[in-house]
Amino acid sequence: MTLPPIAQTAVAAFVLLNVVIGLVTYVTLLERKFAARMQSRIGPYYVGPHGLLQPIADALKLMMKEDVVPSSADRWVYNLAPIAFLVPCVLIFATLPFAPGLGLADLNIGVLFFLAVSSLEIVGLFMGGWGSNNKYAMLSAMRGVNQIISYDLPFVFAALVPVVLAGSLQLSAIVTAQQGLWFAAYPVIGQLGFIAYLVATLAAENRVPFDILEAESELVAGFRVEYSGMKFALIQLGEYAHIIATSYLGALLFLGGWLGPGPAWLGAGWFTLKAMLVFLLLTWVRWSFVRIRVDQILAISWKLMLPATVLLLLVTAFWVAWRSGGGA
Amino acid sequence: MTLAVAAFWAVAAVLLASSLAVILTPNLFHSVLFLALALAATACVFLMLESPLLFGVQLLLYGLGAVVFAVFAIMLTERLVGQRITQASRWIVNGLIVGAGVAAAVLGFLAGRPAPPAAAPPADAVAGVARALTGPFALPFELLAVLLVAALLGAVYFARAEE
Repeated sequence: MTLPPIAQTAVAAFVLLNVVIGLVTYVTLLERKFAARMQSRIGPYYVGPHGLLQPIADALKLMMKEDVVPSSADRWVYNLAPIAFLVPCVLIFATLPFAPGLGLADLNIGVLFFLAVSSLEIVGLFMGGWGSNNKYAMLSAMRGVNQIISYDLPFVFAALVPVVLAGSLQLSAIVTAQQGLWFAAYPVIGQLGFIAYLVATLAAENRVPFDILEAESELVAGFRVEYSGMKFALIQLGEYAHIIATSYLGALLFLGGWLGPGPAWLGAGWFTLKAMLVFLLLTWVRWSFVRIRVDQILAISWKLMLPATVLLLLVTAFWVAWRSGGGA
Repeated sequence: MTLAVAAFWAVAAVLLASSLAVILTPNLFHSVLFLALALAATACVFLMLESPLLFGVQLLLYGLGAVVFAVFAIMLTERLVGQRITQASRWIVNGLIVGAGVAAAVLGFLAGRPAPPAAAPPADAVAGVARALTGPFALPFELLAVLLVAALLGAVYFARAEE
């Protein structure tokens, strides 16, 4: 018996959603273990062997927590914010091809879809910051909008470098174009693009050194300070889903996606391995650097990242046009 | 087919309701949020018309950009926290009349025409748009860029003039 296409898609989406949630839950453990090793600690250890059940314990604890709504909060906005934050973060997985033909929708504008939908999380973030009716949350949301506007452009330009090299916005076509040479290994252009992508990702994900928006010492926890229980969990889930999706995109754009030795069915494994590598790179930076000031963040974006990435994109475009015999 | 039609009507209802909410809610911040919803619903309409390129551009430019700048406008003109920001819908009757007139004109224009044949969407619209923008429409495209730069410079000038 075969299901109609729409039902097949629905089932696939359900499976993917659960895989994403499971992955995100365990990525938190990966990050905690990695950070612990970097600081000569052990990290979560007591729940299950080597702390392997810690994420499940955390999830259960969050579900049982009391749900507090501040009395002066804007109730509707406050309650809807975690959902508005989570939905785009999960939706971006829909367009990722995990292996040839293994993905929900291989759109011919895959990269554009990813960039457009992933940037929508800012709406949820701002709703949370404003709806909480809390000065810390509000300041954090303002900083978030500020930072995301500043770093969206360098992020887009850095992500467009592989697009120009591959000559397609379709994610699977970008992987196929890297058959001979991963774009991260492309002389000069590839490395600069990859570095720009990583820096812009750190900023877009509000990770240290760009985490002024949740700066613990001044803003407590930023825009999520008033959230508790499952709403807090949804925001955390969205944040990690977003960074995992961006790691996958980085692995796809620069590290050749599912390409790797071995039979084709290993593709998804290779892809995940590379994505985790990108994630650990980001985590490494997070646990090694200090937070920088807001004016420094904006100066880096507008005075360095933006001109540099535009220049890089132009050089890439000229190089590609010149190699293809000038004038396409 | 019926599913697509049902989806269209659902999105259309959301679009209409959120657009009305934009002008009818007293709270300016809520109105911006409804605007975001309306723009996202418009993007969904593009998606259902099998034009994912317009969907992406709509979300990236309007869904995000417009909302972000509207939020900035609120925040830069009003007190930061705590104060209720209200909007007054003045001239609502005039707006209703003009809106009804435009709707009647569009419907009247459509009523007299035979339905166009359903054209198959082009296989690769993205490449087509790119060729058009760098080929026959290169000059208007560049002029638009110049216009935007001029607007940007003007905004900077007016922002600095008060210092």
